[in-house]
Amino acid sequence: MFEWIQTSIDGIVDGAIYALIGLGLSLSYSSLRRLNLAYGAIAMLAAYCGAWVAFQGEISMVLIALIVIGVAGLIGLYVEQLCFAKPLQVSGRIDNASVTADAGIDQRDLVALASSFAIWMQLEQLAINMLPRHMNAFPAFDADATVLLPLMGEQLILRLDRLTVAVLSIMLITVIHRLIKGSRVGLAWRAIAEHRMASHLMGISVDRFQTVIFILLSSLSGFTAFLILAIEGQVTAMFGMWMLLKGLTAAMLGGLGSVLGVMTGGLMLGLTEAWAQVFFGAIGREFAVYALLFLTLTLRSGLAARRKEQHFDRRVVPR
Amino acid sequence: MSDRVFGSSSAATGMDGAIAKAVRQSLCHLPGVDDAGASYLVNVLSDISILSLIALSSYVLLLSGRVSFGQQAYFGLGAYGSAVGTVLFGWSLPLALVFGIACGAFCAYFLALITRPLSGLYFAVASLAFAEMLRLALSSWHWQVDRGGGPVGPAGLEGFRSIRWLYENNVAPEVFLLICLALLGAVLIGQMLLERRRIGMSIRMIGYDEVLAAAQGLPVDRLRLFAATLSGGLAAIAGGLYAHRTTYVEASLFDPMLGVHALGYALLGGLGTALGPLLGVALDLGLLDASRLVDGWRMVIFGGLIAIILRVRPRGLLDESLVNSTQRRARHIVGRLRCLISPHRDLDAQSSRDAIVPGSIRKS
Repeated sequence: MFEWIQTSIDGIVDGAIYALIGLGLSLSYSSLRRLNLAYGAIAMLAAYCGAWVAFQGEISMVLIALIVIGVAGLIGLYVEQLCFAKPLQVSGRIDNASVTADAGIDQRDLVALASSFAIWMQLEQLAINMLPRHMNAFPAFDADATVLLPLMGEQLILRLDRLTVAVLSIMLITVIHRLIKGSRVGLAWRAIAEHRMASHLMGISVDRFQTVIFILLSSLSGFTAFLILAIEGQVTAMFGMWMLLKGLTAAMLGGLGSVLGVMTGGLMLGLTEAWAQVFFGAIGREFAVYALLFLTLTLRSGLAARRKEQHFDRRVVPR
Repeated sequence: MSDRVFGSSSAATGMDGAIAKAVRQSLCHLPGVDDAGASYLVNVLSDISILSLIALSSYVLLLSGRVSFGQQAYFGLGAYGSAVGTVLFGWSLPLALVFGIACGAFCAYFLALITRPLSGLYFAVASLAFAEMLRLALSSWHWQVDRGGGPVGPAGLEGFRSIRWLYENNVAPEVFLLICLALLGAVLIGQMLLERRRIGMSIRMIGYDEVLAAAQGLPVDRLRLFAATLSGGLAAIAGGLYAHRTTYVEASLFDPMLGVHALGYALLGGLGTALGPLLGVALDLGLLDASRLVDGWRMVIFGGLIAIILRVRPRGLLDESLVNSTQRRARHIVGRLRCLISPHRDLDAQSSRDAIVPGSIRKS
């Protein structure tokens, strides 16, 4: 019973962090309607910049966090302009949107997918060139600070830094949820996700809005990366891929585009990992996550697909 | 690497030895290629043909309008399947390859069957999850059999070692290159013929717009299943060749990077013709060689280049409009030549045939 509680709490703490990773990916999907494969790489390169700065001398954590966030935003601008902004020139036949829009992946989706993958490779190589060692130190929180909770004659062990990050991420998700539901900017966002052309006709400057949103979400992913790496205390070039896979899994489990769905998905992911680790070991843990994702997608043809269009309720007027 | 594995080409005897020598000599005749360069070229060409096969498998799925991040799974299945065939069952390479292909194609069929209702991104992620599950399953697969001189067979995380069919049968790297090229050529010709026929055109049509295709009376689900099975088989051929070339496979080789690269090659090369994926692979591997000067910056340049190319040409370098206009021009020239040879031939009949170009589906 005691171990059950300890494992579950570990899973929930991890899950809250996964939810934060998934949030950026999910929101950028809902505003662009395209998947950004460079999502993890943006955060990873920004974190590498942070690690590089930290390597130069004694610099406070807050400053490094700001650097990571800022650099992530800048890289986000670059990626958005190259992969997601309106193409310079598209031949007429392909520019014709699919007659039955939203039936599947259309041409623009494919292009964005492929070019954001290419940029992912580019950013990864840049990071490796900057700090060629496989593993690089990242300024860490105090890992020894723990909270001990007495329970049933034993003590629950909670690392203070993980707990703080988990609480912080839940707070962030809640705030963003409120913003999207209740502010004018959030309304514009929902309108764009619902129908680009209609929102354009209503006077929302769709392209500029998307650029700004993309930069903000990239900064958010940089902040997430900073929090995670400060727990781990080190960063490798594989971090980008790890972040993309975890984020994608969390977002897909809960339904792409839904803020609270990402929360659910992240917690599901964290709990599954924690429990599979106990029962099946390291390989079993990975396997269980993918099996869960696969089953969710095929059997329920998602939680995901059904929630797809539900990320916004129909209440139009914000408070 | 391959010299150590295969033994030097002089070890090969008889007919094979003669072929190997001929290939090597003809490579040496190329400008600026010496003996060491020839071995290197043999390696690179084998790599290109193997990668081209898996890029082709991504291409076939892309034609049917599906993006898969999971082609590496069928590559892995082909590798393990054919290796089990030669090492554990003692079959010959062709038979083992067929077995590997059957494994890959069946698995691809199965996946396509259960993911039928999923569209777009959901299919892509489901295929990724499936491939990762398969990779993890293969990485914990133990089946060791003693075949004189130690146990052989898949050994979990340590991988599947000593797949030595080529070595035991004295197949020189040069001969193996010819086998790879022959298989690739056969696949290419088959794919091109398929695309000119009704079934190939229908698959392309589904890729353009599945609802529209269904409204035209095409069996969308069945055609998709066919395309998926075909792509699984193609990736499995690549896997089987790869396993026998390197004599060693492990599950971690089939990580998502491989599948995403295959996808990238197909998209970069172009979706207009089956030659597109080849162009993508040749560009990447060719650039790898050409840009030794910019060592370490290769991916920085190449990645940026892909993004810019795709901005200007969203369907890749060899896209449909380029392919169609080239075909039309070629037909025009051929028609002219025919008229020169036999002047009484009816010109009007020729030009009216030009109007319908096979392989073009116009979306108005």
